[in-house]
Amino acid sequence: MTLRFLLSLVFGLTVAAAGVFAQSAAQSPHGKAERRDPLFLRFPEMAERYWVNTETMTASHKAVAVPMPKQCAFLYADTYTKGAMSEREVQDMALSTCNRRLQELGPLGENYNVQCQCRIVISNETYLVPRDALPDAAYGPVSIFYRDDRGNVARLNGVARYGALVGRDRSATFTVENPRGEKVCDGTFTNDSPSNGRFSLSCFDGKFSGSGTYQSKTGAPNDHIIARGQTGRGLPVVMSIGLPSQLAAGTYGGI
Amino acid sequence: MRHWLILAAIALVPTGVYAQSAGEVERCFQNPGACSGGGGGQAPRPATAATTAPAPAGDYTTVLNSSEPERRRVQESLRALDKYQGPIDGNLQSEASQKAISEWQKGHGYAQVGKLTPTEAQTLHAEAARAPIKRIDPSQTATAPPTPLTPPALSNADALKALQARLAERRKAAEPKAEAAAQSLVKDLKAYVAADGKGTAGEQFPAFAKWYADNKAVGRTIGDIAPAIDDYGDAKSGAATTAEVRFETKQGDKTYSQCLVFAWIEASPRKSGEAISCDDVAAVEKWKTDQALKSAWR
Repeated sequence: MTLRFLLSLVFGLTVAAAGVFAQSAAQSPHGKAERRDPLFLRFPEMAERYWVNTETMTASHKAVAVPMPKQCAFLYADTYTKGAMSEREVQDMALSTCNRRLQELGPLGENYNVQCQCRIVISNETYLVPRDALPDAAYGPVSIFYRDDRGNVARLNGVARYGALVGRDRSATFTVENPRGEKVCDGTFTNDSPSNGRFSLSCFDGKFSGSGTYQSKTGAPNDHIIARGQTGRGLPVVMSIGLPSQLAAGTYGGI
Repeated sequence: MRHWLILAAIALVPTGVYAQSAGEVERCFQNPGACSGGGGGQAPRPATAATTAPAPAGDYTTVLNSSEPERRRVQESLRALDKYQGPIDGNLQSEASQKAISEWQKGHGYAQVGKLTPTEAQTLHAEAARAPIKRIDPSQTATAPPTPLTPPALSNADALKALQARLAERRKAAEPKAEAAAQSLVKDLKAYVAADGKGTAGEQFPAFAKWYADNKAVGRTIGDIAPAIDDYGDAKSGAATTAEVRFETKQGDKTYSQCLVFAWIEASPRKSGEAISCDDVAAVEKWKTDQALKSAWR
């Protein structure tokens, strides 16, 4: 048992170390990053710093870390230096910031059935991970709260996947998977302005559905979407995308 | 227009004919296969090989959603009964775990669903507790080839430890300077408060001067001032410190705790001073990035 524990520990540390010891951009075979890549469309503020803001785009080294695998990439950390740090130090800083943010937001076990762990994905405009491993849409932990006519509250936690351009396109579809990776709901966001609009949700082949309005919120504790509406029977439904289950419950669970 | 019609149609789906208790919705979410089909006016899903067996009626979510130690315990019990050889990682939805559970269920006449009800889990644990302790056969261990340890795994683990040790050492070396810088700041903050809004702290940290004036305007007085180092290291123009400072403020019989992060470059007088709300982590990080702070603290 002790040996098994030690082997598990070694394995765990190895996995952690794999994230810490990111490679140099010059050695990477995964190609150059571009402004219109899904990761930058997903995080427009980062894209602004990476490609537009003169202070940061001209940095001597820049690194982006996101939690991986791809469905975990609901936050990011971008770090820049103007000569004071080496490429490796910038990567370490991005990784440390990403991990700290992930830790601050709380456990993800009720949303994901995979271990989410920060990795350096871009360093000096070069991808350090294969492109097919990178997020190709927007993903985030989702919590749906529903209060039935007896006052009981259902808390449904999983992962949402949606078009990266909520707020920019007229409408974007989304799906919700339970922690076992089974698709349970789908729906639509239709924007009225860049930060708010209407949503509809349909789960279990339409057995449970609702609609209402949503709002995109940026900043602390994390960028997220909060949608509030009603079922066809007028019972309240709240959905948050972008906050782990406990944080979502603490913030929006009291419907 | 078409979109509005679609939205209206979704909102008008006759969900009222289906049970929508919170419990039912949670069960459907955990096991959508047992709920989908026939709902919302859609045709039932065709039966497939995977769905021809009757849907499990038991509570299979409690164990799946139990705490990690509890889920690990399930794996350990399965292992004690020689049903499971995978990692003890608490993942009861892995192929190996589900296979082991199915195999155990088969031997006990339970439905082979690869998930456990709480009762089944209790039975499993009780059985595992009765299982004899296995002893390693010395003859086998003598002849068995040594388990190869993957070299990169060990080197990475060692490298990680080395990095952690290096970071700890660097921080230890920085601690006296960081503490001195923070204490010096607190001294100036206290002097500023004692002089009722006059002194270098207000000049070096205009946002703090404004914060003090705002508190004074609403009749709050400043009490205890407690610092904690947030970060310290070399920056482009000198040694940089960021310190989280908690202020106890009083208004009448009420006491409040307020928090500001002070960020500055050590010099006489301090340079590039900023006082930022503790909630605004991004602004603090931006200041560090702007100053090219090379942390000796984290």
